[in-house]
Amino acid sequence: MSLADPILIEIVEGTLASVEMEVETAIARTARSPMIRDAHDFRAGIHDVRLRKLTGRSYSALVQPIVRDFPVETMNPGDVFFHNDVYLSEGGIGHLPDLCVTVPVFHDGQVVAFVQAFGHHDDIGGACPGSMPSGARSVFEEGLMVPPIRLWDRGVPNDAALRIMTRNSRMPDSLAGDLDAECSACLMGARRLGELFDRYGREAVEACFDAILAKTTETFRRELLAKIPEGVHVWEDYAEHDGVDEPRLHAQRITLTVDHAAPEPLVIDFTGTSPQAKGPINHAGDYADGVFLKKWLAPILRNLADTPERMAELDVNEGVVPLIKMVFPEKGTLLTPIFPAPTNARTFVILRLLGVLAGVLAKATGGRMPADQETIRYTGVYGHDAAGNDYLMREVLGGGSGGRWYADGEDTIHVVPDSRNIPVEFAEARWPLRVERLGLAVDSGGPGRYRGGLGYDKHIRLLRDASFMSIADRSILSCWGVNGGRAGRPFVVTVNGVEMDGLVDDFPVREGEIVRVRTTGGGGWGSPFDREPLCVADDVRDGKVSLKAAREDYGVVFSAGLDVDEAATEALRAELRVPQEAFFDRGPGFPKLSGGRPHAEVDLRP
Amino acid sequence: MYSVRIGVDTGGTFTDVVLVDERTGQIVTTKTPSTPSNPADGFLAGVAKVLELHGGGVDLASVSALVHGTTVATNQLLEDRPDRSDHLGFITTEGFEFILEIARQSVPDGYGNSYFWVKPPRIVPVHRVRTVPGRLDHTGAQVRPFDEEAAAEAARGLRELGVTAIGVCFLHAYANPAHERLMRDVLAREHPEAVVSLSSDVLREYREYERSVTTLVDAAVKPIMRTYIGNLSERLGRGFSVMKSNGGVLSAAEVVNQPITTVLSGPAAGALGAALIAGTAGHPSVITLDGGGTSTDVAVIVDGEPSQTTEGSIGRYPCKIPMIDIVTVGAGGGSVAWISPEGTLKVGPRSAGADPGPICYGKGGTEVTVTDAHVFLGRVPPHLLGGEIPLDAAAARAGIEGLAAKLGLTPERCATGILEISAFNQSNAIRQITVKRGLDVRDFPMVAFGGSGPLLVCRLLDVLGLKSAIVPPDPGNVSAFGLLTVDVKNDYVRTHVTTDPDPDAIEAVFRDLEAQAAMALDREGFTDHVYVRTADLRYYGQAYEVRVPADGDVEARFHEAHQRLYGYGYRDDPRHAVEWVNLRVSGVGPITRPALARRPEQFEEPTPICTRDVHFDGWARTVIYRRRDLGAGAVVHGPAVIEEYGSTLPVHPGFTATMDDYGNLEVRRELG
Repeated sequence: MSLADPILIEIVEGTLASVEMEVETAIARTARSPMIRDAHDFRAGIHDVRLRKLTGRSYSALVQPIVRDFPVETMNPGDVFFHNDVYLSEGGIGHLPDLCVTVPVFHDGQVVAFVQAFGHHDDIGGACPGSMPSGARSVFEEGLMVPPIRLWDRGVPNDAALRIMTRNSRMPDSLAGDLDAECSACLMGARRLGELFDRYGREAVEACFDAILAKTTETFRRELLAKIPEGVHVWEDYAEHDGVDEPRLHAQRITLTVDHAAPEPLVIDFTGTSPQAKGPINHAGDYADGVFLKKWLAPILRNLADTPERMAELDVNEGVVPLIKMVFPEKGTLLTPIFPAPTNARTFVILRLLGVLAGVLAKATGGRMPADQETIRYTGVYGHDAAGNDYLMREVLGGGSGGRWYADGEDTIHVVPDSRNIPVEFAEARWPLRVERLGLAVDSGGPGRYRGGLGYDKHIRLLRDASFMSIADRSILSCWGVNGGRAGRPFVVTVNGVEMDGLVDDFPVREGEIVRVRTTGGGGWGSPFDREPLCVADDVRDGKVSLKAAREDYGVVFSAGLDVDEAATEALRAELRVPQEAFFDRGPGFPKLSGGRPHAEVDLRP
Repeated sequence: MYSVRIGVDTGGTFTDVVLVDERTGQIVTTKTPSTPSNPADGFLAGVAKVLELHGGGVDLASVSALVHGTTVATNQLLEDRPDRSDHLGFITTEGFEFILEIARQSVPDGYGNSYFWVKPPRIVPVHRVRTVPGRLDHTGAQVRPFDEEAAAEAARGLRELGVTAIGVCFLHAYANPAHERLMRDVLAREHPEAVVSLSSDVLREYREYERSVTTLVDAAVKPIMRTYIGNLSERLGRGFSVMKSNGGVLSAAEVVNQPITTVLSGPAAGALGAALIAGTAGHPSVITLDGGGTSTDVAVIVDGEPSQTTEGSIGRYPCKIPMIDIVTVGAGGGSVAWISPEGTLKVGPRSAGADPGPICYGKGGTEVTVTDAHVFLGRVPPHLLGGEIPLDAAAARAGIEGLAAKLGLTPERCATGILEISAFNQSNAIRQITVKRGLDVRDFPMVAFGGSGPLLVCRLLDVLGLKSAIVPPDPGNVSAFGLLTVDVKNDYVRTHVTTDPDPDAIEAVFRDLEAQAAMALDREGFTDHVYVRTADLRYYGQAYEVRVPADGDVEARFHEAHQRLYGYGYRDDPRHAVEWVNLRVSGVGPITRPALARRPEQFEEPTPICTRDVHFDGWARTVIYRRRDLGAGAVVHGPAVIEEYGSTLPVHPGFTATMDDYGNLEVRRELG
C-alpha cells in the first residue's frame, strides 16, 4: 500500500475542507464588522509547510511574508502572527482593512502547516470612516500599516500591539472583537489539523498533500486548458476612474499565450496595463512570481468545464500554480505600483482582472464564457443616530451576473461567496433610515439570447440628516455583453433625484430624502433577437423587462396583453438585426471615455 | 386502568410500530410496508398488527395514546417538483415583490461560482407574488395605513391564478401583527377557499426573507397535511398526536394549523428515543447516530436534552422554527462508491436507495454501495431481516472487484476503504455538530441505531477517540419507540432588541408568551404546565445570537456560553455591550415516560451460533453470535459479529461488546 492511496487522500482532503469550514463558521458567527459578518469578506485557508495552499473553496492571503520575517524554526506552539501591510505582504493583502492572522500547526515539535484567516474590518484608521478614502494619494492616508508581527507569543497576546491597533481605529471594540474571533478560530483549526498529523503521521499526510495538488494540476490541464485553442489572444478592460483624476480608461490588458505542450501551458502577460493611478485603485501584484494572482484568477478557468455542476466541483489550490506563468510590466503600473501608492479601492483592478481573463477566454473560445458581471461596490450612509452616536451603514450590494451559453444571468448575486445583504428589518432597527423599496432594476440586465441578470433598485429614506458614500466602478462603463449579447446598465445612485458619481466620500442627505441605488445588470450572451419570445413575455410579466425594451432591444411584438405576435416579431427582428463587427458590447459609456470610438480595437471578432 | 401506548413511524419503505404496555412494561415492535399512495393504509395495518401481537385484547379505542411520526410534509418539499408548489402564492409589503428573487444575494460556496451558478427556482415565482401598501416600523408603530382595497385586489388576483395556499409576510409583523390579521380577514372574504399562513403566527422573529420563506413552507404543506390528518382521523375514529421537529408532540387537531412544526420530525423521534435508552442505562449525555439506507442523522444530547436550533432548513428553504439540531450526512447503507474524474474514491452522497438498492439486493443495482462492501467483507450475513431476504454475495464481490481493479487496489483494500471513507463522512458530521456547540466529542459516548448505524461503531470509536458506543436492542425501532417518550411542547418567540434591558418589559413579554402557551396546553387537556424561558443574546454588532436559559443572571450565562462556544468572551469587559434579541417560551405538558425492562443476567460464556470468514485486518474464521442469546453481563470479544433481526454489529479485533442490564450492547476498546 503506497502512502498516498486514494482512500487516505479522500480522508485528508475531506478533513482539510472540514477544518476550513469550521474555522470560517466560527469567524462568521462571532465577528462584528458588517464586512465580515454580512458581506462575508473574510477567508480561511490551510497551507503546508512549503507554503502551498491546500484547500480549494476560497482564495486566501499568503504565508510567504510570515516565514520571510519569522523563520519556521523560530516559531512556537501558541504563536499567532499578524499583518496587513500591503507592500510587505508579497501580494497576498490588497488593502489595509484586510487584517490577516496566521497560526502555525505543530507535530512532534515541528511546524508542519499553517492555518490562516483574513477579514475586512470596519476601520483601521486613515483619512475617513471605513478606511477607504476614495481620493487617497498615498497609503499613509489609508490607515495603520502593520508589517508581519508576532501577535501572540506562546499563547500570550501582545497587549501593547493590540492597544496600538485598537487606538488607531474609529471602531476599537469591533476591531478587538474581530481579531479575537480570527485568532480563536485559527487556533482551533490548528489543533484539528494537528490531530490529522498525529493520526496518520507526517510522511503519509504530506504524501496526500502532494497528491491533492497534483490532482488539481492534472485536472486543470486535461479538462480545462485543453479547451483553449493554442495561440496568442489579447483583450483588455478598464477601470473608469481613480478618485483623483477625471474619469478615463485605465486599461488592464492580458496577452494570453496558450501552448498545450509547454511546461507552463498558459502565459498571462499584463504588459500594456496603464500606468499606476494617482488614486487608490492600484493593486500590488508583482511579488512571489504572482503566486497570489495565479490562484486568484484560476477560478475563472472553471467556466471552461462542460457543465455548471462540474464547474462547481473543481477546487482551486496551489496545484494551479505550475500551469501558469505570469509576466508583469515594469514597475509603476496599476498592477506594479510603487510604494506608497494608495490601494484601498484595488478591487477596481484585482476584481476587474477576473473579467479581463473571462473576456480573453471568450475571444479565444468563440464565446464559450459568461458575459460580464460587476463584482464589488460599497454604498452606505453615515451620521449620528437619535442618541447622538456615530454610525456607519455600509453594505456591499450585488448585481446581475452575465448571461451564459446555457442560462440567463442571475439577479442580484455577489461575487463573494456567502456574502449577504442586510435584512431591512435589521437595518431599520439599528439605523435611522427606512427602506421604501427593495426591488430589481427593470431593464438593467444586458439584452441577449441569454439575458444578463438584474441589479438592485433600492430606495432608502433617511430619517435624520446623514452623509452618503459610495465606492463603485462601472458607473460609466457597463458590464459587457458578448457574442452578440448587449451590455447591461451601469451603477447609478441618486440622492433626492440628483445623480451621484461612482466615488463619493461625503454627500449630504437631508432627513426625509431618498437615496436610490441601482446596481449593475450583467451583460447579455448571444443576440437578443435569438431570445425565445415567450421568455421575453415572461420577463415583461415579471417586471424584469419593460414593454419598450421588449420591442426595441428584443424585437418582440405583443398582440393583446402579453401574447406574442409571431409574424410581427419576426418582421421586426429582421429589420433590427444588423451585422455586428465587434464581439463585445461595452455600452454607451465606452464612446464617452474613448473619444467617440464605438468599441476597442481588441473587441473585434477574431 | 389499562394503559397501552402506540407509536407509529411512517418511513419511506417501512412503517415501524412500537407498543408499550405500561402495566407490564412489555414492549412489542413490528414493521409493515409503507403505502406512499395513501400512508393511512400502512398506519392502520401496522396498528392492527401490533395490537394482535400484543394479544392483550386491547382495541384501538382503549389505547391511551397514539403518537405518529410522519414525513408527509417533508417529502412534499424534498421531492422538489415544481408542480408541487403550483398552489402557492405570496403577499408582502409594497415595494418588496422581489424579496424571494433577491433572497440574501448569496451565492453558495466556492469563490468564482457567481459566474456559473444557476439559481434554483424560488418557492413562489414572482408572478404569484402580490404586494399591499401599508407600513410599520421596527417598534410596530404604523407608518402608513393598511390599504384594504389594494389587499382585496391582491386576494382576487391570486384567486384568479388558481392559488389555494397563501403565505403573508409584511415588514415588521413580528413587532405588530395587525396588518397581517387585516390581510387574513380580507382573504377570508375575497378568497375563502385558500388556506393562509401569517408570518406573525408562524415565526414572530425579525429578518424578513427567512420569515417569509418559513411562512411559505408552512402554507405549502398545509393543504396536504390537512387532507392527510383529516383522512387518518376519520378512519381511526379517534384522536392522536403528531411528532414535531422541536422534540414535542401536539394533537392532530392543532398540528394542522401549523404543519411546519412537523417537518423534519422523523430524526427528532430517534434522537429522543436514544436519549431515553441511554439515560436509563446511565449515560445522560450522548451523541446519537441514526444510520439509515440513504443518510445518517447525528444529534447531541446533554443531560437528557437534545440541543435545539432555529437555523434549520428543509432542502434549500431556510426554516427558522425551533427544531432539534440534527446534522444529516449522505452516508448510509445504500451510499454509492464511485471514482471521481480525478481518480479518487468517493462514497455518497448519492444513494442507490431501496430500489434498485445495493448490488447484493439482486434487484438490478449495478453500483457498489456501502452495504456491498460489508457483505463482501463478511461483516454482515448474506441475508436481511433474520433470513427473510437473501443477499447475493457473489454479485457484491464482483462489483467490489471491478471497482478495485479500476483503482489498482486489492478488493479487500477497496472494500475497507469504502467503509473507512463512509466512517470519515459520518465522523465529520459528528465533529461539526459538537464543534458548533463548543463540546469536546471525546467526552460523549455514542448511541448507534437505525439499520446501518451499528455497522461502523468500532471505526468511529477509533477515528473520534470516543470512550464507548451503545447499541440499543432492536436498533431499527428506536425512532418509533422515541415517539412514546415525548412531551407535548409548543414554542413561542418574540423579537425584543435592546442593549438596555428593562426587567419589567422583559417580564411582560415572557408573561405574554406564557399566557399563549397556557392556552394551548389547556386545549390539550393538561393541568400540569411547565414553562421554559430562554433568550437569544449577542455582543452588540454580532449577527448571530447565543441562546441561554432566561433565569438568574442571564447576561452572565451568555458570557459563559460564548466563552465555551467560541473560546473567548467579555464577562469583565464592559466596553463590549450585550444585546438582547429574542425572548422565547416553550410550554410543556409532561407525560409519563415508558419504563424499560431489565434483562436477565447471564453467568456462563455466550455461545456462538456459527462461524464464517470475515475480513477485519485480514480474512479469519470469525465467531457469530445471535443477540437474543446474550444476557446482561455477557461479554463478546472481537473479532466477532453479533446479529439480530434488523441489524448487525461487527466487533473488530481489539474491541469488546458487553451487554448491560437493559439489553444494550456497550462497545469499547479492549484495555491494554
